[in-house]
Amino acid sequence: MYGRVTAVSLLGVGGHRIVVEAHVGRGLPSLTITGLPGAAVNDARDRIRPAVEHAGLEWPLRRVVVNLAPANLRKDGPGLDLPIAMSVLVATSQVPARAVDDVVFTGELSLKGELVATPGVLSVAIAAARADVRRVVVPAANGVEASQVEGLDVIAAPTLGDVVAYLRGTWTPAPPASAASTDRLDDEVDLRDVRGQLQARRALEVAAAGGHNLLLLGPPGAGKTMLARRLPSILPDMTRDEALEASQLHSVAGLLHGRGVLRRRPFRAPHHSVSTSGLLGGGATYLRPGEVSLATHGVLFLDEFTEFRRDAIEGLRQPLEDGRVVVTRAIGSVAFPARFMLVAAANPCPCGYADDPRRACRCRGDRVESYRQRLSGPLLDRVDLRLRVPRLTKQELIGIGEGEPSEAVRTRVVAARERQRARLAPLGVGANADVPGPIARRRFPMTADAERVLGNAVDAVHLTGRGFDRALKVARTIADLAGVDRVDRPHVAEALSYRHGVDDPEEARARAG
Amino acid sequence: MPDETNDDVPAPRGWPAGFGVGADREDLLRLTALRGTKPLDLHRLAWREGSARASVRAIAAGRAGTPGDRDRLDHVDGDEIASAVEAAGARFAGPGDADYVDRLLDLPDPPLGIFVVGTPLASQPPSVAIVGSRHCSALGREVATGLARGLAAVGLSVTSGAARGIDEAAHVGALAVGGRTIAVLGAGIDHPYPRAGRGFLSRILEAAGTVVAEYPPGVAPHARNFPARNRLIAAIATAVVVVEGVDRSGSRITADHALDIGRDVYAVPGPITSPLSFTPHELIRDGATLVRGPEDVLHGLGLHTARPATVPAPSLEGAELAAWDALEIPALADDVARRLRVSIPEAIELLTGLELRGLVRSVGGRFERRFRVAPPTSDEGSATVASATPDAG
Repeated sequence: MYGRVTAVSLLGVGGHRIVVEAHVGRGLPSLTITGLPGAAVNDARDRIRPAVEHAGLEWPLRRVVVNLAPANLRKDGPGLDLPIAMSVLVATSQVPARAVDDVVFTGELSLKGELVATPGVLSVAIAAARADVRRVVVPAANGVEASQVEGLDVIAAPTLGDVVAYLRGTWTPAPPASAASTDRLDDEVDLRDVRGQLQARRALEVAAAGGHNLLLLGPPGAGKTMLARRLPSILPDMTRDEALEASQLHSVAGLLHGRGVLRRRPFRAPHHSVSTSGLLGGGATYLRPGEVSLATHGVLFLDEFTEFRRDAIEGLRQPLEDGRVVVTRAIGSVAFPARFMLVAAANPCPCGYADDPRRACRCRGDRVESYRQRLSGPLLDRVDLRLRVPRLTKQELIGIGEGEPSEAVRTRVVAARERQRARLAPLGVGANADVPGPIARRRFPMTADAERVLGNAVDAVHLTGRGFDRALKVARTIADLAGVDRVDRPHVAEALSYRHGVDDPEEARARAG
Repeated sequence: MPDETNDDVPAPRGWPAGFGVGADREDLLRLTALRGTKPLDLHRLAWREGSARASVRAIAAGRAGTPGDRDRLDHVDGDEIASAVEAAGARFAGPGDADYVDRLLDLPDPPLGIFVVGTPLASQPPSVAIVGSRHCSALGREVATGLARGLAAVGLSVTSGAARGIDEAAHVGALAVGGRTIAVLGAGIDHPYPRAGRGFLSRILEAAGTVVAEYPPGVAPHARNFPARNRLIAAIATAVVVVEGVDRSGSRITADHALDIGRDVYAVPGPITSPLSFTPHELIRDGATLVRGPEDVLHGLGLHTARPATVPAPSLEGAELAAWDALEIPALADDVARRLRVSIPEAIELLTGLELRGLVRSVGGRFERRFRVAPPTSDEGSATVASATPDAG
């Protein structure tokens, strides 16, 4: 007796179509799974029989062999519970073989035969559509998610019994919930809540407009976290493809929580105690995307930046350069997308009160130096905007009302991004921040006035070559916000103000020498 | 303490004739190794006993000094100290030696001797001490550097400790204009404090400066040494300028020593909200001369006849002048924008323009005017250091 069904196995965020075949033959009752099953699949073996029996179906008291083909590909993910059960049900003729043609099954089973929410269903649905399958059977909790994929008939079933009833033609699934039940935009935080801090707000706008990474340096209570949290709210809305990619990553990590597709840009703020694999991705048995990937198309906020593990911070270089992260473990190697804007925040010194006009800093000089050194490193080369955020005094807060709402800022950001798109399309990058320095020097023309100011800064504030490039790119973004084609003096001057708070080691040496 | 000296009668100025000289030198070196007996008591003891040898004997017999020092005398050997001094590339100067400048005898508790590296103290031009907090602000650092530049530019030397913060800034400022500086350590002469300060001590020495310590080689920097070190700074200098210091700071101690021995005390005011302004403001309230720039110090020393310059208003016009005027006190770009009725990008641009011209700086997210030193012009600086200072050399 033989049965076969189609399923999708996940590798990273991608899915591969696989065939699950079952043979029921003579011998002592047992279940063997062949074809490179991963840890999660092997784990399913003892779960499937009780699930089948609770669904009022019969488990064959014979020798059962399930094979996952092709045999050379490692299969993993809890979503294979349902296809394995279905292959056995087809083999024992409890489900007509013809009914499972052109259907992909995915879902984790409980002992009671319920289909529970399963990570990666969005990826399964995308892979199914790509393989020209027209129907997917998914757990009810993942119905909205799967129905985001166009051209796919989604059967969202609460239990294994319902799946069988559907295939026998005795149960009709409810149509999946509409897109209205996806995440709400109205609970989003808004820049309106930030009082004062005009300079920091402006820096946030420039960062958003040019895709520039940002470092905020300021004492506790200055509002660094509050500002960073609001960066997604002034970024342009995600495109359909961006939203799907971000949602897929959340789905694979099991973080979609019944939503369909993310509409808001992700904001990820891992605590500084996060492990390297938590930040970058990994896992011993099952490769999960890390925080850098979950922040894809959104913002990765690292508060207390200096407290993060050194190797975790070093590992950020690859995603910042390439927009993806390659996770390699004994069980294989997977590339996850990781294209995010970085906002790092830190105190200006170990005690936090350096340069505070009302509280004396009690840090020893050498400790401040070694602390600042932790802030310099090669990673900070990728951070174009560095800003000191002061804690405001009572006087400075007097008479300050609500700030400008995010929506107004976002309108300007969108316009600036639009200007960049036309210019940067031939370079294959999306934003000014992604343009390599030498190309920026060639492609971003400046007025003679602007060139003189930037040139003078090399001497006046010991601007390094890399600092020059960063200032030029930021100036280009400021000009884009102003709707100007040629970078002019005011743009350069403002750009030069965003290099405060952290010393380029070279700059510091030049000053001391 | 079994000391029979009448505490009410101060010992005479200086040391008894022949004290620590010639054959008495070895015992003088042994006395420098004592840790428990105060310099004031050693000075009295010297006058009572007449020689270093007799003073050592009195301590050994328990007639003077602390019990700890009596034990310590058993272990110290004057010749060993002498060779350690030599190994450190230093020299020892006791009473009567050229390096033991007469100014040190102004102290009621003069040092038994000093350990010296570099240019002889006696050859240094008159010196102004610049002292302040190790944990200074960016403003304080800049002020100290600017003062030191201005003072060194007219030929004065600058005396300070060897710590970070104001000390370091003072040395750096004087060295930047080719000036000479004197660093007084709170540790043994071979043990500069802080450890990372070695680099800048060698720069001081390369620039014909002098490094001075009261303690023999091997003494680690210790907090209890610093008040004593501060009295040497006061004694070596002609005047003391306090830049920044919190309540009960070491700078206050230096200023008190300076007042005790008749040195002029100057103080630089700061923001009244800053804890670092406590000591200078207290000194000003008690009569110290308020300092706005090196001209004020030079004027006080009689070296600079011109009216002390205020912070020179740079030649600005239009919006830049308005932005400059808005920075009477350190302010956010936000406030400047509001006062000038311009947008925040415009305000940032104006302020950064001023910053690039060296007129303004950004500290902790606020903009402030830079402390500027107008170099004394030749027609004003008619009085030169060498001719105007009676105790030069």
